[in-house]
Amino acid sequence: MSEVKLKLGIPGKYEERVVTLPEGEPKPYDADSKLSVVGSRHPRLDGFAKVTGQAKYAHDIRLPDMLYAALLSCPHPHARVKSLDTSAAENMPGVKAVVAAADQHVRFAGQYVAAVAAETLEQAERACRAIKVDYEPLPFVVDLEEARQPGAPKVFDNRDSNVRAADPTERGNLAEGFAAADAVVEATYKTQVQTHACMETHGLVAHWEAPDKLKVWSSTQGTFAARDNLARRFELGAENVEVITEYMGGGFGSKLGLRDFESAAVELARKAGRPVHLMVDRKFEHLSTGNRPNSVQVMKAGCTKDGKVTAWQVDSYGTSGIGGGAGVANPSVYDFPAVRKTSADVYTNAGPGCPMRAPGHPQGIFAVESMMDELAYKIGMDPVEFRRKNNSHPIRDAEFELGMKAIGWERRNQTPGAGPGPLHRGIGVASGRWSNVGERRNSRIQVRVAIHPDGGVEVENGAQDLGTGTRTIVGLLAAEELGLPVEALTVKIGHTSYPYGPASGGSSTAPGLAPTVRKAALLARRRLFEVVAPALQAQPEQLECRDGKITVVSDPGKTMDWKRACGLLGTTPINELATRSDNFDGWQAEAAGVQFAEVEVDVETGRVRVLKVVVVQDCGTVLDRLTAESQVIGAVIQGISYALLEDRILDRTTGVMVNPNLEQYKIAGSWDMPEIEAIMYDAAIGYNNAGVNGLGEPPVTPTAAAIANAVYNAAGLRMRELPITPWRVLAADAARRGGRS
Amino acid sequence: MTTPFTYLEPAGLADASRLARQEGAMLKAGGIDLLDEMKEGLVAPEKVVRLSALKGMDRIEVKNGKLRIGALVTLATVAAHKQVREHARILAAAAGQAATPQIRNAATVGGNLCQRPRCWYYRHEDFPCRKKGGDQCFAETGENRYHAIFAADGPCHIVHPSALGTALAALGGQILVFDGQKSRSVAVEQFFALPSVDVTRENVLQPGEIIEAVEIPSAKGKKSAYHKQRERLAADWPLAEVAVVYEVKNGAADGVRLVLGHAAPIPWRCPTAESYLSGKKIDAGAAAEAARLAMAAAAPLAQNEYKVPLFTVLIARALMAAEKGEPA
Amino acid sequence: MGDPEERERKEEGLRLSRRGFLGVSGAAVGVLALPTAAQEKALAESGIKAKVIGPAAVPISLKVNGKSYNIKVDTDTTLLSALRDHLQLTGTKPACGRGACGACTVHVSGKPMCSCMMLAVDAADQDILTIEGLAKGQVLHPIQAAFVEFDALQCGFCTPGMIMAVKALLDANPEPSDEEIREAVAGNVCRCGTYPRVFQAARAAARRMKSARVLPEGGRL
Repeated sequence: MSEVKLKLGIPGKYEERVVTLPEGEPKPYDADSKLSVVGSRHPRLDGFAKVTGQAKYAHDIRLPDMLYAALLSCPHPHARVKSLDTSAAENMPGVKAVVAAADQHVRFAGQYVAAVAAETLEQAERACRAIKVDYEPLPFVVDLEEARQPGAPKVFDNRDSNVRAADPTERGNLAEGFAAADAVVEATYKTQVQTHACMETHGLVAHWEAPDKLKVWSSTQGTFAARDNLARRFELGAENVEVITEYMGGGFGSKLGLRDFESAAVELARKAGRPVHLMVDRKFEHLSTGNRPNSVQVMKAGCTKDGKVTAWQVDSYGTSGIGGGAGVANPSVYDFPAVRKTSADVYTNAGPGCPMRAPGHPQGIFAVESMMDELAYKIGMDPVEFRRKNNSHPIRDAEFELGMKAIGWERRNQTPGAGPGPLHRGIGVASGRWSNVGERRNSRIQVRVAIHPDGGVEVENGAQDLGTGTRTIVGLLAAEELGLPVEALTVKIGHTSYPYGPASGGSSTAPGLAPTVRKAALLARRRLFEVVAPALQAQPEQLECRDGKITVVSDPGKTMDWKRACGLLGTTPINELATRSDNFDGWQAEAAGVQFAEVEVDVETGRVRVLKVVVVQDCGTVLDRLTAESQVIGAVIQGISYALLEDRILDRTTGVMVNPNLEQYKIAGSWDMPEIEAIMYDAAIGYNNAGVNGLGEPPVTPTAAAIANAVYNAAGLRMRELPITPWRVLAADAARRGGRS
Repeated sequence: MTTPFTYLEPAGLADASRLARQEGAMLKAGGIDLLDEMKEGLVAPEKVVRLSALKGMDRIEVKNGKLRIGALVTLATVAAHKQVREHARILAAAAGQAATPQIRNAATVGGNLCQRPRCWYYRHEDFPCRKKGGDQCFAETGENRYHAIFAADGPCHIVHPSALGTALAALGGQILVFDGQKSRSVAVEQFFALPSVDVTRENVLQPGEIIEAVEIPSAKGKKSAYHKQRERLAADWPLAEVAVVYEVKNGAADGVRLVLGHAAPIPWRCPTAESYLSGKKIDAGAAAEAARLAMAAAAPLAQNEYKVPLFTVLIARALMAAEKGEPA
Repeated sequence: MGDPEERERKEEGLRLSRRGFLGVSGAAVGVLALPTAAQEKALAESGIKAKVIGPAAVPISLKVNGKSYNIKVDTDTTLLSALRDHLQLTGTKPACGRGACGACTVHVSGKPMCSCMMLAVDAADQDILTIEGLAKGQVLHPIQAAFVEFDALQCGFCTPGMIMAVKALLDANPEPSDEEIREAVAGNVCRCGTYPRVFQAARAAARRMKSARVLPEGGRL
């Protein structure tokens, strides 16, 4: 154990912290760290593979003798499978194996009931249609409000009702809070169901190399989770299951577990004795692979005329289909002295929700930040000033300053909706949050760094890259520690034969891996220095390596290039495996982030165009400024898409999704793009030796709220329901003009 | 899921027509709509008649003040073609804003006019709606935000998806239909048919009949505009679409043709508004009144009431844009 | 709440549909069709002049990235499937299957097309360019290089289609406006949200390709 003094915080708010670190731990990054590679704008290491089409995704795996699988799903939202006859399908051309789902009680339209493997995908699809299923349709409900009513058809027979309420939470004195309020706003906010709609659909290629040895190429966010799930499901030792995910086409939370239909493909491969390729089609992807649950948030909040929120009350409910987890992050972002919250999951006969990029947050923060806006306008206070009065997060406060400057906050409308003509422009603001500085203790994450006698360096970890740039940050961190250009390293990821890596959920990948990469690289470098030191007539701790040269710090004339130094290893490579250390104390574990949106609203057509978004986002140490900005920009775009377009639409009377495609499930495209200015806000936060907070989630959390607030500032129309479509804007405008809404 | 078919490549149009009369045969030009239907399992033709190799059907020419566009001309070509831009600029605009660049390179004029509706109940294999021979319209009381606000008696509430149809109707275009022996010319309004005529079809083509070309009286010198609004700004079906063409005689509008797309199961002409405008100088007041008249008979469904104010403003704006000579 | 009677009626409809109401069910229609020779004979007898392709798998030649491949495909095989499953050229991606996302964009006779909405038999003997045909060995095409430099990709699954769409634009229009760039990729969906970077990369690539053309004669930038 050793004590280290760190300078943590942000400009103007630095603090000295003394932290205790285990032996061998690299000195954590802090405000005084001089980094050359980490924090630069480095193009992603797998760019070449991706732009040439050489990158192999699970979908692209082609093995000798490989079969293709297709799924049969149930058209009914609720039914019992009375009988399922696969005999005709089994005799169809090319068909090699058929399996039926274990669960004969189908609870949503689109649920998988059987799978076929055949020589071609077309043969498998045709055979699926030849499977004769006799369904007993059961009463169902897909509408959130309908499902809450007493007497509604029950999704699960063994429950009293479809409503599963969480324990209410209460802190502070709500009655006193409202009594102290000068202004009170009551409003109900609603958000829709959003699907992940990954470009690469779910699926895998399963290959039984021996009766007890399974190899799977999976489009997964968690190679090791997939491995462990497969091992359990097929009763194999984890060492006999290999999962490979060198590239994957997006997950956003939906590819964290092994799905029943994926197991079916593995089962088909076992039955047929041949590799099986299953990638689900777009319709199935929308219906069955997860979604962000919808929400209704019934709210009442009050504040004083000088801008302090005194009471906050929210009753929320939403449906995650047959799944759970429809809770929302409300309250969130700000600190309120008195809060009362109730929430409930409502079961419906719809595909199960699952984590989606900041679960609960975009929906919760849409309500939180809309309500903050309503309160601010009600007391006539600058919406940013109002927020700052209720904010205790130092980074967020600084980010507001930067964001106001970048967007030109003073240009906003002093009177929302004022001005002649149909086109109105305005600016809105919202802030987000997330927190993930990595597992606090007892992490299983390991990284191996090998230095070979020929000078080659390998960095290995089995985690996957969702497209966030994991491969690249691993390379940058190792290069920084070793004093080498990134190009000199080989980064190997996405394979369970490499050391254990985290599943990419909750923005955990970077804070999990980054400190471990540093540690492994440092260990390897120390070993090399021990070998090299005698040749340079120095002690190992007197050496440093920069730009591929090992030098005695006090005597720069004594130097040796990397390759020669490695040559001194003889025939024994350095091979260091590091395990992630426990977190230590830090300065600020929560990421903030603020967004300002400028929009143009045509109040006659209801069209909302986002013109500009300024996003100021922190994540502790910025590891690669280029890919970090990309991730932030991408999150904003998903937020725009959520705010204005996306909606999973179920036909209420049949329970069938009517837009299970990429044509009528509308995802923002090129013409929907505003100018997006991404400002990465550097902060020295501690907690792990790389000072890294997760970045995937936080920037998606406030975008919809910022847009809705901008629509209000522009047109004077308060949009309390997502998506903000032309018909909703027109209805709001009609209501304002005294017409019917 | 698709099924292999016999692919027939006729030597000439007459051969194509005879092949198309065969049981289980379907015509294919660019193939975008047909493949979409096949993939969804809505059709499984035993035979597909390939039109794309037919000679002479991919030409654009101007003769006797008429623009003639072959049925196999792609939307991309229509959009970019100098003569189309000169004589029928709103047709070029409609073609250029339809679908996506990739689709416009494949989709043809004939295919665009004959494409089946985009109604999500029709396009979903699980809904046996009237148009597919079933006995109900799922949209009538279902999810109908994108459906028709005219022809409320149904019995089907689709909107016709053809952008070219809307523009051609405004241009007073004719559709040349080859019936196996000879060609006949059908006015665009007569070409499209309401569901009340035959719910399973959107036009009057009989088996074996093939669109050969469209003919358009030159609109050079006329006032015209094509406006639409989409929800998604990149490549989306319009929520509302307006095309207008008229001449100015003695400072007043004459021969006004005002057509709405995505309002009804066919490109929807607005005769009351047209006759109101005839002989009037088009200004903001006249445009607003015409828009009001055009919407007077609208009978929206539960979720598409917004289309009424939307069309109202788009019509007025299109008229003013045409009057001011703004780009189509 | 919905009207229960109506609900029942609609639900009944769904069941009918799955029983093969539409006549599109398991039994492959093509199986019943007559073989090519028999159909040719029947046509000749009836005096119809037409070439008969299929219904059994047919040999075709695909010219992809300058190389000819002789393969046998079904008449309903898409170009996308021919590329990925027959030729193992998996750089072209399947994502929506309906021409709505552009991930499968390739050039056919120089034009960007959705290969998922084109039959392989229709693409026979035409020049097809896929993402695999852009780089020269380790040297990236300027558009590819710009995509890497400006980080116009995240998960990378839409990237080949995006690049092919941008390439089609710059081939036809070496100095596009910002609006023309937006329209060129209006048919391409990216879920990670790379569009602004794609615009940047396209602009940069256009500039560089122009300088590369100007330099040999002009000798300066």
